[in-house]
Amino acid sequence: MSLLVLGANSLIAQAAASHFAEAGHEIIFGGRKQDEPEKYANDFSIRYKTKCRAEYIDALDYPSHKKFIEDVLAKTPDLEYVLIVFGYLGTQEKAQSDFTEAHRIIDTNFTGVVSVCELLAAEFESVKKGNIAVISSVAGDRGRQSNYMYGSAKGGLTVYLSGLRNRLFKSGVNVLTIKPGFVNTPMTYGMPLPKPLVASPEKVGKDIYKAMLKRKGVIYTPFFWRWIMLIITSIPEFMFKKLKL
Amino acid sequence: MKFEEIELSGFGKYPKAKCKVTRPPGIFDINEVLKNNSVIPRGLGRSYGDASLNDKGVVSESLLMNRFISFDEETGILRCEAGVTYKDLLDTFVIRGWFPAVTPGTKYVTMGGAIASDVHGKNHHNVGSFSSYVISFKILLASGEILDCSRTEHSDLFWATVGGMGLTGFILEAEIQMKKITSPYLTNRSIKLKNMDELFDKLEEFDKDYHYSVAWMDIVASGSKYGRNVLLLGNHEEGSGLPDKLKLRSAKKYIEKKISVPFEVPFTTLNKVSITLFNSAFYMAAKNKIEFVHYDKYFYPLDFILNWNHIYSKSGLIQYQLNVPEDKGKEAIDKVLKKVVAFGGGSFLAVLKKMGDQDGILSFPFKGYTLSMDFPVKKGVIAMCKELDQIVLEYGGRNYLTKDSIMDEKTFKQMYSGLWEKWMDTKIKYDPENKFTSNLARRLGLCPS
Ligand SMILES: Cc1cc2nc3c(=O)[nH]c(=O)nc-3n(C[C@H](O)[C@H](O)[C@H](O)COP(=O)(O)OP(=O)(O)OC[C@H]3O[C@@H](n4cnc5c(N)ncnc54)[C@H](O)[C@@H]3O)c2cc1C
Ligand SMILES: NC(=O)c1ccc[n+]([C@@H]2O[C@H](COP(=O)([O-])OP(=O)(O)OC[C@H]3O[C@@H](n4cnc5c(N)ncnc54)[C@H](OP(=O)(O)O)[C@@H]3O)[C@@H](O)[C@H]2O)c1
Repeated sequence: MSLLVLGANSLIAQAAASHFAEAGHEIIFGGRKQDEPEKYANDFSIRYKTKCRAEYIDALDYPSHKKFIEDVLAKTPDLEYVLIVFGYLGTQEKAQSDFTEAHRIIDTNFTGVVSVCELLAAEFESVKKGNIAVISSVAGDRGRQSNYMYGSAKGGLTVYLSGLRNRLFKSGVNVLTIKPGFVNTPMTYGMPLPKPLVASPEKVGKDIYKAMLKRKGVIYTPFFWRWIMLIITSIPEFMFKKLKL
Repeated sequence: MKFEEIELSGFGKYPKAKCKVTRPPGIFDINEVLKNNSVIPRGLGRSYGDASLNDKGVVSESLLMNRFISFDEETGILRCEAGVTYKDLLDTFVIRGWFPAVTPGTKYVTMGGAIASDVHGKNHHNVGSFSSYVISFKILLASGEILDCSRTEHSDLFWATVGGMGLTGFILEAEIQMKKITSPYLTNRSIKLKNMDELFDKLEEFDKDYHYSVAWMDIVASGSKYGRNVLLLGNHEEGSGLPDKLKLRSAKKYIEKKISVPFEVPFTTLNKVSITLFNSAFYMAAKNKIEFVHYDKYFYPLDFILNWNHIYSKSGLIQYQLNVPEDKGKEAIDKVLKKVVAFGGGSFLAVLKKMGDQDGILSFPFKGYTLSMDFPVKKGVIAMCKELDQIVLEYGGRNYLTKDSIMDEKTFKQMYSGLWEKWMDTKIKYDPENKFTSNLARRLGLCPS
């Protein structure tokens, strides 16, 4: 059974994929940067002695997605697992004054993912198997002034995935929503984050792997974010709106 | 390009400097940084002092460039990016019967760092240092040009880069020869010795019989116990002699267990009493014996305790590693040890080992004896180390740059006399504007300050 990873450059994606590779699954790395997915595929095939290959995909090039998925399925009939990690944090301030930035944030985190998910859903629904995992974020649980563009795209994604899970349940297809807290990756590099709350990509990757195998619905990773978010979402709006978050 | 401004240090946590750090995912990004800044490459920061610090420019980490490129199962030749670590090599290749031919005492070292420091292992007297197994590497120059270097191609740059402390360019990829092994276990022979005379005799006697050899010296004991030590000799186990239990374990992928020192202790746990206890306990506990030891315990005992440097408290530690010529080596080591014992010892034990010759221009090893010691940073330590410098100089020895944090330019240039000048010729040829520079380079006069 094979794993398709979309957003191959992400350290979280690689960490999660390493567990699948170690267990002997074939890995297909999808990404948009020239050569990079191939370098990972090559590295994985040496490191884990498993079959790996790279495919080119840009989350924002929607018309290309149909052919991409068809090609992957044609070459990989035993595709079982899909992990989608596309994401773009962007800059909140820029997004407020420049709509192209807001657009890119929404499209990369939401529209691009929806486009791919629908194609996969149709296929998995018809064969009555499959396991789709998507990285959303704790930022999608409640909008905050410091990153509500990204947060709302992820929030939309979370709601979308909840619906998709509901739809595909009867077909035996699992949909996993992954909500990481802060993770030490190039996305957050250089940001002044509270160190004790920052997880390693390895930790998050392992949580994702376990949750995919257990066919979970929603996970927070590390787990304590469930409690942090519970507190944040229970603050009444009249108070929340006054906070500097 | 994203930057992080942090107080940075090497493994010794001394000295510290405010540095602008970046973690580029590829060549394009390193070039971007080089356009407007001076740069020092950094791997995992396991050098002790200021070799991978640059408070007048940028520190550029190699950690995102950590992919294997090719591996030949027949010949054991590996090609990989510079951020690949010893841990990556071990986790991947031991089970397939290949081992790094030369390894330092921690596996948290990158290939880039291993080349730049031309690291040595417990087998230096037999096989030389890491560069002896580096077939070639790709390096990014200050000009943006990428060169392939080997013993035959741009060989001047090859020899200036091995041991060149990151000052000639950014190593991107390396081609490395691994060593064939048949088991992850080693046969270790421990011999408890009363003094240095015994040690130097035994070192001669077992020179060729054992691939690995190193001695742990008590550097606190004085009087009749002065110079007592335990000699550890080892060979890769062929596999046939292993008990069945270990044979079985060898076939499985190895998973390590760790304990951690999570934060810097606010006070110094290493005082005269604890240090003395530690040094004697080690000697007391040692037995003359032969045993099978897993490679992880054999080569990387300190890695079992994550962040063990935290026990040195906030002020950090200095590691002092010297090498003195074979001729009169014992006399020099004796003088050094006497001074250290009189000072009240260092922390833990000192490690003494026999070294062979080496070709890298600034490579630390040459035929003789090396001694390394840890000292917690406290009053009087630096002055004492400066006195040790004088002994090292008197005997024609030198200190290891990757461990150093206190030498001055004059001392360095005396120790590496004839070598630094030669190195400088190549440096100027490939990096005329000193785009690659570090706090260490400026301190030692390898780059203008
Ligand atoms: C517990 C412990 C045990 C050790 N045991 C040994 C030992 O037995 N033998 C031994 O020789 N050393 C030993 N060392 C020292 C260590 O092996 C070296 O300092 C090594 O260079 C550290 O590698 P690093 O990847 O952490 O590099 P860093 O410490 O980050 O950098 C070290 C040097 O390498 C340069 N460098 C790093 N990456 C690149 C690159 N891509 N291109 C160009 N230059 C680069 C840096 O500029 C710097 O000058 C030990 C260190 C520790 C902490
Ligand atoms: N880091 C955190 O703290 C954190 C917290 C919560 C959630 N997340 C989410 O976790 C996921 C992984 O993020 P990360 O932290 O690993 O950051 P990352 O390194 O920036 O990963 C983002 C990935 O998305 C890819 N991508 C972006 N735009 C794309 C496009 N148009 N087409 C194809 N691929 C595109 C990137 O590819 P390129 O390399 O080609 O740009 C990269 O592989 C993201 O969804 C992120 O939102 C991260």
